[in-house]
Amino acid sequence: MPKRVISKVRRWAAGKRAFVVLAAGFALAWVGLTLFGTTMVYTSTEAFCATSCHEMANNSNMEYIGSTHDKNRTGVRATCVDCHVPHAPIPLYIAKMGALNDLWSHHVTKAVDTREKFEAQRPKMAQRVWTYMKGNDSRECRHCHTPANMDPDKQSPVAVARHEKGKREKLTCVDCHFGITHHEPKSGPGPQELDVDRSLIPRSAIF
Amino acid sequence: MKLLFSLTVACGLLAASLSHAAVDADAAQAQLKSNGCLKCHSVDKKKNGPSFKETAKKYKGKADGEEKLVKHVTTSPMVEVDGVKEEHKSLKTKDAAEVKNVVQWILAQ
Repeated sequence: MPKRVISKVRRWAAGKRAFVVLAAGFALAWVGLTLFGTTMVYTSTEAFCATSCHEMANNSNMEYIGSTHDKNRTGVRATCVDCHVPHAPIPLYIAKMGALNDLWSHHVTKAVDTREKFEAQRPKMAQRVWTYMKGNDSRECRHCHTPANMDPDKQSPVAVARHEKGKREKLTCVDCHFGITHHEPKSGPGPQELDVDRSLIPRSAIF
Repeated sequence: MKLLFSLTVACGLLAASLSHAAVDADAAQAQLKSNGCLKCHSVDKKKNGPSFKETAKKYKGKADGEEKLVKHVTTSPMVEVDGVKEEHKSLKTKDAAEVKNVVQWILAQ
């Protein structure tokens, strides 16, 4: 900014006005941060994800309803956000930036706005999610499920055998647990057939 | 009159047999989901058990293919998964038509 403007503003804000400027600055920051925080929280709710655009409401949400992550014996649910929005802060902000692409697809390119288009893109969308989940070693699954604390006495023998196999073959959760909530795409590779470069995907609780 | 009646009966029987031969994909998929088959078997992707496409490739066109599969999903035979032997789960339904529908859907993949 040119020196003239800066010195003009400084003269204007000098003296008693400085207090007003400071207070206004605080108020603006408070409003801004509140808006930011509220947006981050609101865009991370099931109501927002599942119902605010018809692409999700008519496709993904319909598949989710009745699945084991939605309705089960204990009523403990994993909603859209729990699996698809990272909980760790840095990956969360990165994902939120990426979600701006959803706005672009919805309003501009209309990439999946009909059932046919959605089904045509399903393999690509599924592979994108599986690649992400494989790359971060199923970080979102591990937010709720801790393999080390899976009590073998409470699991069926089949489950115990499978998880031991998974450990041996260094599989990640999504390698076997896919298509559990949303429909599997009818074509394309599954998670075990995807070759994933893990270098760029944030993995841990912070980064 | 007699001719019309017998023609109607013939058409009805034909329709019945044709509808019996068609696979009800929705019913088959509902059965697969409710019985937990999809926990280990995917339609075409690698999971724990062979994919339905692999199974169909192995048994399609074989005379006793359907019979073998029906037996597999109703008698809980022992299967070996990664060196460990375990019982293969059976379909909960005892209705032969429903079992046949599921097996035929698998063979059609």
